[in-house]
Amino acid sequence: MGMITDGLPGFLEPLPGGSAVLTKVDQLVNWSRSNSLWPLTFGTSCCAIEMMMASGAARHDISRFGAEVVRASPRQADLIIIAGTIVKRMAPRLRTLYEQMAEPRYVIATGSCTIAGGPFIYHSYTTIRGADEIIPVDVYVPGCPPRPEALFYGLLTLQKMIREGESLRHPGERRRPVLSALPEGMTIEDIQAEMRDLLVADANVKMSEELAEGAHWAQELKDF
Amino acid sequence: MTAPVPSPMASASPNPAGVRITSLEERISGTGTGSSPLATQEYFVNMGPQHPSTHGVLRLVLRLDGETVREVVPVLGYIHRGIEKIGENGTYRQFVHLVDRMDYLSALANNWAVTMVIEKAANMETNERIQAIRTIVTELQRLHSHQLWWGVFGMDLGAFTPFFYGFRDHEILTDIFEKTIGARLTMNYIQPGGVMYDIHPDFVKDVKEFLAYFKPKLREYDALVTENVIIQQRLRGVGVLSAERAVAMGCTGPMLRASGVAHDLRKSEPYGLYGRVEFDVPVGTTGDCWDRYWVRMEEMRQSVRIVEQLIDNIPEGKHFLVKPAAKIKVPAGIHYSHLETARGILGVLLVSNGKDQPYRIHCRTPNFNNLWSITEMATGGRVADLVAILSSIDIVVPDIDR
Repeated sequence: MGMITDGLPGFLEPLPGGSAVLTKVDQLVNWSRSNSLWPLTFGTSCCAIEMMMASGAARHDISRFGAEVVRASPRQADLIIIAGTIVKRMAPRLRTLYEQMAEPRYVIATGSCTIAGGPFIYHSYTTIRGADEIIPVDVYVPGCPPRPEALFYGLLTLQKMIREGESLRHPGERRRPVLSALPEGMTIEDIQAEMRDLLVADANVKMSEELAEGAHWAQELKDF
Repeated sequence: MTAPVPSPMASASPNPAGVRITSLEERISGTGTGSSPLATQEYFVNMGPQHPSTHGVLRLVLRLDGETVREVVPVLGYIHRGIEKIGENGTYRQFVHLVDRMDYLSALANNWAVTMVIEKAANMETNERIQAIRTIVTELQRLHSHQLWWGVFGMDLGAFTPFFYGFRDHEILTDIFEKTIGARLTMNYIQPGGVMYDIHPDFVKDVKEFLAYFKPKLREYDALVTENVIIQQRLRGVGVLSAERAVAMGCTGPMLRASGVAHDLRKSEPYGLYGRVEFDVPVGTTGDCWDRYWVRMEEMRQSVRIVEQLIDNIPEGKHFLVKPAAKIKVPAGIHYSHLETARGILGVLLVSNGKDQPYRIHCRTPNFNNLWSITEMATGGRVADLVAILSSIDIVVPDIDR
């Protein structure tokens, strides 16, 4: 593998038609990489339990997506699922684990704590506000903790990213296909407009509608 | 060659397994035991914070002589998030959701502990329905937590099958919680003045179906693990903790009861509806890993018994008795309340200065004291037994570090 990934681009590129072959080799390599991710058992808190439910237990069963070989040693793993809060004392260890992992290595950050600090974002003197301050993160999975299904969506996104975003010509560089996840016929402007409407709707409350909808709460409020 | 660092722990430990602890000089000169003239050297091994058997980010520093553990020192702080300090900056109601993240396997009991101290201090009223719902969901979560422990315990001993069996039943219970509470793990359900939502219309039916399904499964658990000769050989006589030492080190919950002390807050200071239901407190005899295993298995049966008695007659009434947005003010002073979680006694100390924010909060968490017993239980044993002992304590690391 090392011979192919390191030597092939320099050998094929000067040949006539070599670029087309190289693109095919890219596809093959990315396909095999994306379907044989070996995650590391790394969990610091609550998200680790949901990760166990997703990866170990029979109902959700992560092996359907080709990522079931969970390893305890970072040297045998190429995917780290950061499950749980990272605090200042753990941060150097996380960095060490990341550097010990086999290349090319991928990172999924699960849970609000690893995205921005989660419930510990204010007034905590130890929490790292987001794991991306320590190591580069490929996919973020929100939730507190995220459901196993959410983790699977994150894993599928990562697989898509590996398949479409890497080339042997530029090892270590990834293109992030952010817009490729959009449904057909939808543009980023539509989403922004929708977000604006949502924010406006969130910020304004029509009391008459609220009371009509939530008759239950209205009754309860009247009792006091 | 340097002499090993003299440790106060090694000289003070009672050496339960009967292993003679010899110094390095004795070993080298062959005068100590007289059995081996070969020179051995003690060495340190770092177990964790990244280790599959430490259930998170616990770090143990081991002083080993060959395979024999001479000393274990837990090193903490790898998940210290300052939950108690964050609690001082929010209102009382905002503190409840933080304790979910402390011992995430018994989040409801944690919610209830905080709720209990606030309700006691602020003289808030509850009704029968609220207490019944709280008792049932907390008892179901004790079951939930023990199921997960059972699966992970099997995996730590080298058997992968219990993990599948434990999680199969764990998921059914998770679904029941999800229907009523809306969360799978971090519940934020029991609040000062009631519970967040009323129970789902299917709740009673689902729980009854689950209990009918789960009771035969306990027999299956026994056939798979409890009656297994290899498991028994690995657990009996390993990691013995005497009743005196258990009390002296502040162990609580199944750890304490396995050592032969029948102390359970559900019996001695009944809260919720525990005073009205019939259940036994399983007590071990020797305090080894096997007793701790057996006590937890029996507790699962008792939890089923408790829920069966309560599920048929949940009284009618409101599920929330204060205004949803009302500010809670606790009178100035020091307030304390405690209850029994799946792992032991969780006590919450609240210092109030009469405002709507706590002045200081301290949580006496069960895992911190339970963990420290490993310094005595594992000393003199083997490295392979250390994993069994650690797993039989059933630790949750964020609860230790908070």
